Amino acid sequence: MKILVCIKQVGDDGDMNRFDAHALEEALFIKEHSDNTMPEPVSVDIVTAGPSTAEKIIRRAFGMGADRGFHIVTENSDYISSFVTAFGLSAVAKKTSYDLILTGIMSEDMMAGQTGPMMAKILNLPCATGVIKIFLPLTGKTIKVEREMENGFRDGLVILLPAVLTIQAGINTPRYPCLSNMLSANRKQILSLSSEDLFWEPIRARESCIGMEDPEKARTGRVLEGSVADKAAQLFSFLREKNLI
Amino acid sequence: MKQILVIAEIFKGRIRPVTWELVAGARKIAAILSQTRNIPGKHLPCIQIIVPSDNPKPLAEKISEQTGNAVIGLQIPGFKTYTSDIYIDCLGQLIREMTPTHILAAHTSQGRDFAPGLALELNAASISGINHIRFDETGLFYSRPVLDNTKNMLVRPDPDRPVMLTLMPGVFKPDSHKKGKTKQVDILKISFGSDACENSRIQPTKILKRPCENQALKGAKIIVAAGRGVEKKENLELISRFADCFSSSAVGASRPLVDMGWIGYEHQVGITGTIVAPEVYIACGISGSSQHIAGMKDTKCVISINKNPTAPIFRHSDICITADVLEFIHAFLTLPDPV
Repeated sequence: MKILVCIKQVGDDGDMNRFDAHALEEALFIKEHSDNTMPEPVSVDIVTAGPSTAEKIIRRAFGMGADRGFHIVTENSDYISSFVTAFGLSAVAKKTSYDLILTGIMSEDMMAGQTGPMMAKILNLPCATGVIKIFLPLTGKTIKVEREMENGFRDGLVILLPAVLTIQAGINTPRYPCLSNMLSANRKQILSLSSEDLFWEPIRARESCIGMEDPEKARTGRVLEGSVADKAAQLFSFLREKNLI
Repeated sequence: MKQILVIAEIFKGRIRPVTWELVAGARKIAAILSQTRNIPGKHLPCIQIIVPSDNPKPLAEKISEQTGNAVIGLQIPGFKTYTSDIYIDCLGQLIREMTPTHILAAHTSQGRDFAPGLALELNAASISGINHIRFDETGLFYSRPVLDNTKNMLVRPDPDRPVMLTLMPGVFKPDSHKKGKTKQVDILKISFGSDACENSRIQPTKILKRPCENQALKGAKIIVAAGRGVEKKENLELISRFADCFSSSAVGASRPLVDMGWIGYEHQVGITGTIVAPEVYIACGISGSSQHIAGMKDTKCVISINKNPTAPIFRHSDICITADVLEFIHAFLTLPDPV
């Protein structure tokens, strides 16, 4: 069984997107718990699309236990469309016949949650988003999952493999990279690709970012001034005035 | 005639109220188009609401009665529960025969699941999680929260194709209902693929409800809620002591604390936890994700303590206290009693 995990570098520190770390953890957990129940050994590959600095999260993924890493090297850009990313990742996914493709429910920076379900459509695979539970061990042609909905509801599904799942936080606790993996991670080769390697002509986004704004205030916050003790005293008198304390 | 389409959100055979918010969003788009395009009224896009179901007639009639808009009941034989495969295929078959400019769905666990795939199916642009619909001389554009809700990104879709939009729940206020102006209801039958729903690649087993004893949260006048700013599980003790200062209080928590197993799910405030509206909500070290805000925004008075002055929670607060939450609570608990 072959699993592909799509990961993204986010934030000023250039760390792995938190939700993608949950997806990678789940893939590694599946590998450890289904290796004996599946007809063939389980492998976990990872892929990312991002600038050259994204190599950092591929090394981290190796440290956690991933087998192979693909890197679609892109230009540094303020806005990358989910649509363009989904086509790039799908082109890599097509090179190997994966049984399961996992990614985070969304990225922490763009918060769109579109890459996973778009990949499913491009690859013509079934897809479930916001997966909070996967039933193990895997034994054959299907995977049983629960998808998170609002107000504590969960949607139980049995999905035919191959499939795309996007993973919600709370499904697991991602492991830290282990030392022996980290040492071999530095020797592992990252398979780098450019968009030109993947496509005859560039994929064009269907929308563009035209600016950024500070969100407006929903309430007119009164800011308490002074030392921490002053602020505590002010809050106390406010609550006392309202007869709450 | 061009259409603005709204995909009604149906859960367990009932219309979810977010559907009325989608209609409000569609009306806003229609109003902007009629204002900005100097063309006769009859060429303006009309709003049509689509209701997928195995028996859509009663739901479609109810929506038409409630909104006064035209409704299409999309009858899918054998359809029981929502799955993305069935929605993308059947809605795709229906909408391909139409000429929409905009297709609206809710940014919920259901809308987020099918909208990106449906957009590709229809060769449309796709923008998710919209919190404002705006326009300038070039046309419509949309704002969506990014970077942990600290910024809004303004996004404009290509004008030469339809756009699929998912709207944040709780943002667009439903219009007052216009009863008595029932519009046309059409029922259209479309089968899933070449196959029956039973042969779909995604088989729903059952919908489960996570048991949740949240009466304490629901009944409290004051909720003291903890977020990642408490730093470690042991510090929740301090939050409890803070909450004990008030007579009718309960301890709440943001999602990450529940995910990490520090505190039980019955304490989780937010869309996926409990939705609360106490007299006072004290957010302790909570940054303020949109899913958390949506779970407490109807509170009378919000007090926030956070060491990061740009934390999104401060935009939703009546009293803002920039301080390390642990240090602040220590100071509060050791105040000389002024009585």
